[in-house]
Order: sequence, then structure tokens, then C-alpha cells
Amino acid sequence: MTEIQHGFFRHGDNSYLANFTEAEREVLLNLAEQIIELLAERVDHHNEDPLAAMVGITVHDTPPEDEVLLRLLPNAYADQVDASEFRRYTESTLRQKKQAHAMAMRMHVKTAVDGIVELDHDSANAWLGAMNDVRLALGVRLKVEENTHQELELLAPDDPMRGVYAVYSWLGWLQESLIDALMDESE
Amino acid sequence: MAKVKSKIEVNEKLDEELKAIFNGDIPWVTIVWDDPVNLMTYVTYVLMELFGYSKERAHELMMKVHTEGKAVVSTGSREEMEHDVARLHEYGLWATLQRGDQVL
Repeated sequence: MTEIQHGFFRHGDNSYLANFTEAEREVLLNLAEQIIELLAERVDHHNEDPLAAMVGITVHDTPPEDEVLLRLLPNAYADQVDASEFRRYTESTLRQKKQAHAMAMRMHVKTAVDGIVELDHDSANAWLGAMNDVRLALGVRLKVEENTHQELELLAPDDPMRGVYAVYSWLGWLQESLIDALMDESE
Repeated sequence: MAKVKSKIEVNEKLDEELKAIFNGDIPWVTIVWDDPVNLMTYVTYVLMELFGYSKERAHELMMKVHTEGKAVVSTGSREEMEHDVARLHEYGLWATLQRGDQVL
């Protein structure tokens, strides 16, 4: 298939298709792996209560120190005490849900036939979540602010962030194409 | 020793407050904050998916987030709002919850 690239498009009821090149599939796989790894549980064997850990309660109630992780796992309350309590009971589940989105994306890319990925409504939502997490992570590293897009467009060819910004932009375009396809249905 | 008041002012507001205390139903709110990364269409779509809002309603809330920096996207009990915030975090929206009577 050598069609013009148009990201995801709707293909009948509850089916959304995209045709990816090998290079694009590699980028998507790589990003999915990075997110899965990034969201792996914080390991702290000293204080972990195995029973509590089993039901998703952790001893971690402080926000992640890493800026990217903090954006992916933000505080739910402005108040630090409430935020810590909430985090203790929910952070582990949130990590797992985000990992599951990235794992779904990885699975679909890995099993693509002739580069074609087919999603239903639920897996499309998983992809949107995964693509968004990648964009949030890259956005932190690129220091994206409300008005920085022009600066980022003008990065020098030898600037290593130029490639990162290209991936960030491409994912935004891909995400938008999937949302357009999904919204088309809900009208 | 605390001084006791010999008189109380009974009005509708007190009635509501007392009811809220005993029912535990002081309203809480979920707030979505503006974020330079999330696409406008994505925020609209997530609000439609998670809350079942119409496209118009979701778009209106998204525009409020975009232009005013934040918007209340749902109201309910504290537990319900914690659930909403967790779902919004799952999809990467920047959300917090707080008591409804403390909204700035």
C-alpha cells in the first residue's frame, strides 16, 4: 500500500485503521517500551507490606522526584496531606492502567499485518492514553509551554531535541487523526 | 470553660449545613487545569468519554480550561470526585479535587 499518509481513519463500524511504515512502527514500539519501563513500580523492599502491596496500597506517599513521572502521576489535591493519602491508595493502580495502555499499543504494533493496525473503540482509547502519556513525557523534556511551539519549530538541524520534537509533533498529528475518526462516529 | 450561646439563628442555610454534615454530602468538585501539551480535541474527547457529556458541553468546558486556566468538570461526593480524578489522570488530564465551597 502506498497511499498518502493520513494517520487513523474510520473503517466501518467500530474499526479504525492506520498504515505505518517500518520506521514508524519501530518508533511506536520504542516509545511504548519506554513508558512501560518508566511506570514500573518504585521498589522499596525495606518497608513494603506484602499484603498491602497485593491490594495496591504502597508505602509511597511522596510525589515522584522525576519531573516526567510527576506529570504522569500528578497530585490529586493541592493539600499535601490529602495528596499523600490519595497517592498511597491509588498511585500503584494508576501506574498499572497507564502501563496497560502502552502495552496495548505495543501489542497492536507488534501484530500489525503489512503495517496495518486495526483498533476498536476500547483499544483506540488505550492508544489515545498511551500516545498522550508519551507526549506529556516528551513535552516535559522539550519544556513545552503555551507559546514555545514556534521556538521548537526553529531548532537547529544538529540540535538533538529537533528529532524529539519531530516525534512529539508526529504523535500529536496521529492522536488528532484518531480523535477525528472517533468523533466522526459520535456525531 | 466555653461560653454557651443562649440563642441560635435558624435559617435555611444552617438547615442545609446541618443536613450536609449528617449526610456527609458536602459537595466536592473536580477541576481540570490547563496544560500546554494536551490537544484541545483530546480534552474534549476525554470529557465526552468519561462523563458522557455532549460534544457541545465538553467543548464548552474545554474552552473554559483553555481560556481561564481551569474549569469545574464534575460535582458530587468526595468519593465520586476521587474516582473522577483517578480516571482523568489515567488519560493524562491534569485534575485535582477540592471542596465545592472552597473553589476560588
